[in-house]
Amino acid sequence: MNTILWWKQVLDFFGGAADSPPEDSPQWFLNPVVRGLWWGILLFLVILFSGQTSKFIYIDF
Amino acid sequence: MIFNTFDYYFFFLIPAALAFKLSPLPWRPWVIVLSACFFYVYFSLLGFGGVVGAFCLSIFLWESIFSRLYRPGAAICFIGVVQSVIFLAIFKYWNYLTGLAWSATSANPWHWSGAFLPLGISFFTFEFIHYAVDRYRGKTSAGAVKEYLAFILFFPTLVAGPIKRYEDFLPKLRAAEASWLDLQTGFTRILVGLVKKFAVADLMTAFTNHLNAADIAIADRRVLPLWLFAYGIKIYFDFAGYSDIAIGSARVFGIVVPENFDWPYMRSNIADFWRNWHISLSTWLFDYVFIPLGGSRVARLRNYSNLIVTMFISGVWHGAGTNFIVWGLWHGMLLTGNRVWRDLRGARQVSTVGRLIGWAITFTTVNLGWAFFCMDLPTARFFFQRLLIG
Repeated sequence: MNTILWWKQVLDFFGGAADSPPEDSPQWFLNPVVRGLWWGILLFLVILFSGQTSKFIYIDF
Repeated sequence: MIFNTFDYYFFFLIPAALAFKLSPLPWRPWVIVLSACFFYVYFSLLGFGGVVGAFCLSIFLWESIFSRLYRPGAAICFIGVVQSVIFLAIFKYWNYLTGLAWSATSANPWHWSGAFLPLGISFFTFEFIHYAVDRYRGKTSAGAVKEYLAFILFFPTLVAGPIKRYEDFLPKLRAAEASWLDLQTGFTRILVGLVKKFAVADLMTAFTNHLNAADIAIADRRVLPLWLFAYGIKIYFDFAGYSDIAIGSARVFGIVVPENFDWPYMRSNIADFWRNWHISLSTWLFDYVFIPLGGSRVARLRNYSNLIVTMFISGVWHGAGTNFIVWGLWHGMLLTGNRVWRDLRGARQVSTVGRLIGWAITFTTVNLGWAFFCMDLPTARFFFQRLLIG
């Protein structure tokens, strides 16, 4: 259960839902280069999948 | 649209956040109000009622003036609640309610052919009601007009939440100072939200497009649950993605707004699911519907009926259609079932196997419920007929 919770906290951190990773996580999680690479990957995915122009379900519903 | 357009980021979010950061503290609420007015008019003209939709900005101006009359224990707060509900009823339910009396739209003399939904009305109605009720209860301070306007017009959350609380927002607005941590967390959240929307939710459309009577009629029965499951994935990633962008955008201003989702599909019972799905709505319904009805500190039968009534209202709010009412009642019944089970079982610890079974039941029943959310009632009925009978 603790492992699942640890992974949840890691995913929350990389998802921007938590300000800091779990206490016992590796130091490189906080490295600015890692943050930059992560943003690069996310931006790449956004560009790759964008252009489908569908509306959000909960807007004007 | 809106959050997945360049216009949102380059015309509104970044300039407004910069102006907010560079302005002296007393001017900051006005920066939010001014940028939100441009935001409201711009996106209304692009597709939310056009010029008439843009004029709906006057609803906020009216609300900001009228709300100055609210006092603890004053009946005028009640009038504020009623007028908010009337605004919503006119724009959202007019054609549905008048259409109940006539079978065909063409026969309905009251049909409003130019009907539109003012941008964000389903959500700002909740914030208006919350403020009126909490002022009545004496739970929140009045604040200045500029602060209340900034609260109701704060554009990152104006369109579809998360639904904020004034007493929570006000101190954050007064002390807002976007740090580097706020910026990096905010931008990460926005990017993750966009990936959820584009790379997951939108991809599911290929499957969910088949949820119509014609395709259901000719489909292999085994594929039907997959289509519905795809809708379950789509609606979660779509709305969680939207919420991520809204929360991340607010964070760029240095303002933390409520969370909306916390891994709801991993929950092992329906009550826990609702505590983690659309959290700002669930807590609003709990505080302003369920508790005033008597909550759970009443006789058991009354408690069960309170749950069903609360979810019925949730269903009605989700859309002007009988299918949404059935969806709300479905969840009301599931919550009641869960409550009955808890009453019978007592406070015994749930085993890991029990939790796994609970998760499977919760996940399945929630996904079955989406049938009433994404299809009208006859189509949903046909879907279940094909799924269960053939």
